[in-house]
Amino acid sequence: MLADSGGGGAIVPFSGDPNHAAPPPPPVRPIRHGVAPPISRVFVSWSSGNLLQVACLSGGRGAEEVAGSVVEVNLAVANGSAEVEQEIDEAEMRRIEYGSVPAFALLQSRRNALADAAAMQHMHSVSERAEWWQYVLQYSKTIGKLLGSPDSLPGLMIEDPRAILKVRERPTSLKAAWELLEIFYVDKNLHSWLPERLVDWLADYDSLLTKTDGTVYCKLSDFQKKLINLQVVENDPDYWNGLSAALSVGWLDVVVNMLRFHGSYQLDQMDNRETENGLVEAVAVLVSTMPRMRPDLPTGKLGQCCTSRPDFIKAWEKWRGQVSKLECSAFWIQCGHQKTRDGLKNLLHIMMGNIKDLTAATSHWLELFASHFLYIRPFTVGFEGMHHLAQKCIQLKPSFGNSGLTGLLNGILSENPEVVLAECTKKFGPWMVTHSMELLAADNEYADIMLHEERPNFGGLSIEELHRLVYAQVLSSHSLTWQIAPTYLSSCLNQGLGLLEILLLKQPIQDNRQVLKTLELCRLYELENVSTNIMKIAGIYHWKHGRKGTGVYWFQQAHDKVRLDRIAQQLFERIGKSVADDNFKQWEGLVELLGSDIGSAGGLEFLHRYRDFKRSLQQALEGRTGEAARQTVEFLIQLMRNPSTPQRFWLPLLHDSVRLLNCKPCPLLNVAETTLLLNKLQELSMAKLRPDFCTNHLPSHALSSVRLALASNLARAILEEP
Amino acid sequence: MADSPSFRRHPLPFSVDLLRWLPSSTSSARLIAAAVHDPTIPASSHLHLLSLPDPASPLASLPLPSRPTALRCSPSVLAAATSSGSLHLLPSSFDTDSVISIPSGAGFHVGPVRGLDCGGEEWVTAGEDGRVHLVSDGGDGRVVARRVCDGKGMLGYEAARWASSAEFATGGAGCGVQWWDRRKGDAVVAQCKGIWGRGVAAGIVHSIDIHPSRKHICVVGGSSGAIFAWDLRWPQQPIPLSGVGLHETAEPICESEVWEVLFDNYTQSSDIISAASTRILPVMMCSEDGILAIVEQDERPLELLAEPCAINSFDIDPQNPSDVVCALEWESIGVLTRGRDAMAAE
Amino acid sequence: MADRQVAQLGPGTACCGWNHCGRRLAAGAIDGTVSVYDSQPSPSSRWQAHEHAIVNVVWLPPDYGDAIACVCADGTLSLWEEVAEDDQLPSWRKCKVFEGGNSHILSVQFGLLLSSLKMVTAYSDGQVKVYELLDSLELDKWQLQAELQNITDPVSRNGKPACISASIAWSPRRGESQQASFAVGFNSDSPHFNSCKIWEFEEAHQRWLPLIELGSVEDKGDRVHAVAWAPNIGRPYEIIAVATSKGIAVWHVGFNPESECRLSTESVAVLPGHNGEVWQLEWDMGGMTLASTGSDGMVKLWQANLNGVWHEQAVLDCNGSHD
Repeated sequence: MLADSGGGGAIVPFSGDPNHAAPPPPPVRPIRHGVAPPISRVFVSWSSGNLLQVACLSGGRGAEEVAGSVVEVNLAVANGSAEVEQEIDEAEMRRIEYGSVPAFALLQSRRNALADAAAMQHMHSVSERAEWWQYVLQYSKTIGKLLGSPDSLPGLMIEDPRAILKVRERPTSLKAAWELLEIFYVDKNLHSWLPERLVDWLADYDSLLTKTDGTVYCKLSDFQKKLINLQVVENDPDYWNGLSAALSVGWLDVVVNMLRFHGSYQLDQMDNRETENGLVEAVAVLVSTMPRMRPDLPTGKLGQCCTSRPDFIKAWEKWRGQVSKLECSAFWIQCGHQKTRDGLKNLLHIMMGNIKDLTAATSHWLELFASHFLYIRPFTVGFEGMHHLAQKCIQLKPSFGNSGLTGLLNGILSENPEVVLAECTKKFGPWMVTHSMELLAADNEYADIMLHEERPNFGGLSIEELHRLVYAQVLSSHSLTWQIAPTYLSSCLNQGLGLLEILLLKQPIQDNRQVLKTLELCRLYELENVSTNIMKIAGIYHWKHGRKGTGVYWFQQAHDKVRLDRIAQQLFERIGKSVADDNFKQWEGLVELLGSDIGSAGGLEFLHRYRDFKRSLQQALEGRTGEAARQTVEFLIQLMRNPSTPQRFWLPLLHDSVRLLNCKPCPLLNVAETTLLLNKLQELSMAKLRPDFCTNHLPSHALSSVRLALASNLARAILEEP
Repeated sequence: MADSPSFRRHPLPFSVDLLRWLPSSTSSARLIAAAVHDPTIPASSHLHLLSLPDPASPLASLPLPSRPTALRCSPSVLAAATSSGSLHLLPSSFDTDSVISIPSGAGFHVGPVRGLDCGGEEWVTAGEDGRVHLVSDGGDGRVVARRVCDGKGMLGYEAARWASSAEFATGGAGCGVQWWDRRKGDAVVAQCKGIWGRGVAAGIVHSIDIHPSRKHICVVGGSSGAIFAWDLRWPQQPIPLSGVGLHETAEPICESEVWEVLFDNYTQSSDIISAASTRILPVMMCSEDGILAIVEQDERPLELLAEPCAINSFDIDPQNPSDVVCALEWESIGVLTRGRDAMAAE
Repeated sequence: MADRQVAQLGPGTACCGWNHCGRRLAAGAIDGTVSVYDSQPSPSSRWQAHEHAIVNVVWLPPDYGDAIACVCADGTLSLWEEVAEDDQLPSWRKCKVFEGGNSHILSVQFGLLLSSLKMVTAYSDGQVKVYELLDSLELDKWQLQAELQNITDPVSRNGKPACISASIAWSPRRGESQQASFAVGFNSDSPHFNSCKIWEFEEAHQRWLPLIELGSVEDKGDRVHAVAWAPNIGRPYEIIAVATSKGIAVWHVGFNPESECRLSTESVAVLPGHNGEVWQLEWDMGGMTLASTGSDGMVKLWQANLNGVWHEQAVLDCNGSHD
C-alpha cells in the first residue's frame, strides 16, 4: 500500500462516486539503474513495507562488466514532491515518528478504557463523552510540541532595536497544519475567540502561505533588508506599505516598533516636528490599545485584552471612537510631512475597517480574510459565515502558488473533512494523516462516521484503519522505524494483526539480538505462533551455519520436538559409525545441549546413558584404574538391560568394550552379567538372519571378537566365582 | 529539592548501539565513546567520540568493518568488537591514527563478539562462535591473540568479564555462567545454569559484572528479565535479584531482555553496616522494555527510567558516579544525573 | 534518496529470486552459474550449478534454512542450501537433483503446511507433481505425493500439450489449520491446461482436487503468463491475480465454509496490463498493492480504492538512459 503519490487515482476518492471519469494515468517515474539499454528482463520483489527491489537485466550480449543492476525503490518517498519532504529531513522525520508513538498509544488506551466503561454502563459512543476532547487536546499539544515550538527563543538573544521580524526557529508547514487542525477541530476553549486564534496562527506561519505570490511577511522582510541603508525612513513608500500591511493582519507590536523608527522621534531635529511626532505617537498608542477578544495576551504582544463579550463590545466602541476622533483631528493640517500624513491616515483607515485600504494592504487572500475579523467584523463567533467570507477573499486575491495550508484551511472552512483528509494525504504525508484523524473526529460526528465506517468493497476496512495500515507500511520500510509500526497495527481491529504477523516474520533472523527484539514484540502482542515460527527459523539458520549450540537453543525454546528428535536420531546414527575420539567431544557437546528435560523420547535417555558409558570407557582406557573400569562395565550392563536401547546398538556397544574386557587380568563381569551379554549376542545373531536387519558399519569380525572376549571373561569369572 | 535527578534525551541522526564514558581530563567537557550504525547505509558503522552537553556532532570518528557488538574502556585503551568478529583497540584519548585491529576469520572470531573486557594487561574476547581469546600486547605496536577455548559452535558466548588477573567469567546461550581460572590450565572451574523466569529452562546471559570489592561475586543479566548474583563460594545457589524466580507474588522489574548490568557504587545500600559483610551491592540494569532501574537483594527495585523504547546499553561514569548515560533504541542517547538527596529519600 | 542501487549483476544473468525478507538475492546465469548477493554490490558466493542456462531461481521458505531451487534450461531442477562447518565461511551445497524425465521441468514453488514442506513442479507436458519433504533437517529426502494434470474435465485428457511456461502460486497463509492449496496455470497449446485452477488437498481422501477454475467462459483457454496469490491479512475472501494476453485479471475467491455454496469466484477487475507480455506479478506484504512487470520494460503498481475500483497507482520506467 502506497502513500498517494499525487498522481493517479487517490486511494480515498472524496467525490464518493465510483462511476466518475477514469483517473488520469499516474506520472511515470524513471529508474536510474546504470544498465545500458535495451533491457531484456525486469524482476521485482517486495521487501518490507513499501520497498520494492527492481532488477534490470541488460539485453545486450556484449561483454560488459555490469549486465544487470538491482535498485531498491522506496515507493513511500515520492521523490521530494510532498512539501514535508522538502522541509524536514529524514532523521528529523524519524524523530517525529518516534516521539509521537507514546502520545498515540496513550490516546488509544484511553479510548479503549472509555469504551470499556461505556459498555459497562450502556452508554453512548466514546466521542460523546465530555472528557474525550480534552484527552485529544492533550494529545494534540504533545504532538505539537514535538513538531517544534515557534516560541522557543533562546533567552540570551540580544534584541536588535531595528529588527522588525523576530528571528526564531524556522516554522514548518507540518506544524502549521497541525495547529490549524487543533484550532478548528479540537480546542473547544477557543470557540469564543476563534478569529483571534487565527490571527495568531497567521502571525506564526504567514511566511509559509505561498512561495510565488507576496505576503505581509515578504513585504516586511524585504523592507528589513532595505532598512540598513535607509537614512530617512518616512520618505520611503515601503516603510508606510510595511506599516499598513503589518497593521492589517494585526501585528500590533511590529507596527508600534516600526512607528518608532520615524524620524520625528530623533532628538537632533533641525526643524520643529513636534506635532508630527505627536500624531505618530497618537497612532502608536491607538494601535497598542486596540481591544482584543481573547483570554490573555502573550508577553510582547500588544492590545487590550477583553475576556468577556460585553466588555469587548464596550471597549471596542470606545476605541473606535478614539480612532475616528483622531482621524478628524485638526492637527493633521499642522503636519508638514506629506508622506507621514498620508501614511498615518491610511493606518487609521485600516483601524476603522475601510475595506478598500484593507484589500490594498494585504497580499494573500488569507491575510485579507484575517483582516476582516480584526477590523470589519470583530464580533464574529465561531464558524459563522467564515466559508462565505473566504470565498469572497479568494475572489479578490486569487492565488496560484498555493501551499497545502490554504487548501487545508479551505477544506476546514467548507466543513468538509474528506477534503481535509485528502489535503493531508497529498501535501503532508502518511504521518500527518494517521495522527490528524484523531483531531478530525474529536468532536465531529460526521468525520467520526466517515473515518470509522467499514467499507465492504475494501475487505471491510475503514478509512481510519486503511491510513494506519498505510503509515505502518511506511514505518516498515525503514529498518529502524519498523519497530514502532506494531503500535499502529495493533490499533487496527480488522487487519492490523494480520499485517503485524507478516511484518514480524519478514525480519532478518541472522542476529540473535535482533531476534530477541522481534520476539519481545511477539510477547507484547501475544503472538505465540509467530514467535515459535521465528525461533524455528532462527534455529535452522544457526544449525546450518555451524552454530549448532545456538540452533539447538532456539529449537528448544520453540519446543520443536520434531527437529530435536531428528537431531537425536542423527546422534544415534553417529554411534553406529563408532564415534571416533576426536569427534566424541563434539558429539558429547550436542548430547549435553539437548539436555534431559526435553527427552520424552526414550532416545534421549539412551543417548545420555551412552554418553556416560563412553566417557567412563575413555577414562578407563586412559587411566586404567579399576574404579573407572568397573563403572564402565556397570554402564554397559545398564544399557544392555534397558529396553530403550535399540537393538542395532548392541553390537557397537559390545565392540567398544572389547579392549577393556581383554586388557584386564581379572574378570570385570561376573557370570550372570556375562551370560546376559552372551544371550544378547545370540539374539543378535538370530536377528541377523531376518531381512529387516540393520547392518552396522563395523568390521566383519566384530561379532566374533566380541564373542571371544566374552567367552574368555566368562571362563575367568567361573574360575573366580566362589 | 535542589538536587533532584534530571534526565535529558538527545536525538541523534544515527542509531547508537553501545556507550561508554571515557576518562576525561580536567577540562569541563565530558566525553563518551558511542558505537553507532545506520542500517540503511552500507558501511556506516562507526565509533564516535561524543561530548556532553552537546553530543549531536561527533568530535572524532573511527570507521568499523561491521556493526559494533561490544565496547569497553580501560583507563588507557578503548576497545570495540564487531558483528563480523574483529577487534579494534585505540588509546582512550581517541587517537584514531594509532588503532590496532585484529581482523575476523579462522584465526580469531567468526561472527559477533559480545564478550569483551580488559583485565589490566590482557583483553578477553568471547564470541557467538564459541571461541574465547586472550589478547595481549605483543610489542612493536602489535597484539597477539591466544585461543583459550574453541566451542566448535556447540556454545555461543555473549558476555565476558575479568574478576582478577587470573580469573574471568563468561556467559552465553544455554550454558549459563562459567568461571575460568588461568592458573588451572585456562579451564572452566565452576558453572551455573542460572535462574530464569517464565518457565524457561535456560536463558541467554547478556551481561556480567564483577563485584568491585568481593571478586568472587558476580551479577548476571539475561533473558526474560533474569538478574541474579552468583557467589563462587556457593556455586549451585545463585541469588535472585530481579524478582524473577523469587516467589509468586514478587513483581519482576521487567520481563524482557536485560541487556546490561553494572554494580552501582553510587546508590547507598539501605543497610550500610551490614552491607560490608553479607549484602550484595545494588545493581543497575537496563532492558528491552525501556527500564533503567536499581535492584538489590531483598529490596524493592528502584525504577530510574521507564522509556517507551528499549535501552540497549548504559554506563555509570566511573569518575562521577551520579551520572549515567544510556543508548536508546530510537536513535538517541539519554543522560541521567542523580541527585544525592533524591536517592537518599527513597 | 528514494532509489538506492544495491547490487550489480554479472554478465549473462538471466533470472533473479529474492528470499523471504527481500534482503538476499540469488541470480542465475546463462552459463549455469548462480550468484548470491547479500546487500553488497558483489556476490557473497558464486558457483556452477548446472551445465546449461538457469531459467528460474526460487528460495525455499526460511523454515528450512537458506536454500534455493534452480530450474535449468535442460529441464532439470536442483536444490542447494547454504551451510557452514566450524570455522569455514558459508558455502552452497547441492542437496538434490530432480530430472525432468521425458519432459522438462518448467517451474517450481514451495508451500508450507501442517509443518511440512511441499514442492509443486510443473512440466512441459502439462504435468504437475507435488512432492513432500520427509526430513525436517535435510533437503535430500523427498516423496512424490501426487501427479496431476491441470484440467478439471477428464475428457480433455487426450493428448499431451506442449507447454512453454507455467505459473504456480501457493496460498500464502501459514496457519497450522489452513487447507493446503495452490493455483497453477500454463502457457501452452492446449486451452484446457492453460486456465488457472486452484488445487486443494483433501484430508479425508488424501488427494489433491481441482477446486475452482479462474476464467470466464470466453477467456478460459487464454495462455497464462503469471499468477500471484495475495497475502490475506484479514479479508473475508482471497485475492488472486492472473495475467494473460488480455491483461491482468483480479479475482476474489471466497472460501467461506459457512455459506451454502462454499466457493465463490468473482472477477473484480481486468487491468490493461502492459504493452506486451506480462512477465511477473508480485503482491506487497499487505496484499493491497500489486506490482507487475512486462516486456515494455515498465513496472506498474495497481491498487483498489475504497470503493473496490482498481486503478494504476504508479509506473516505474526501467528503459532509462545510461546514467
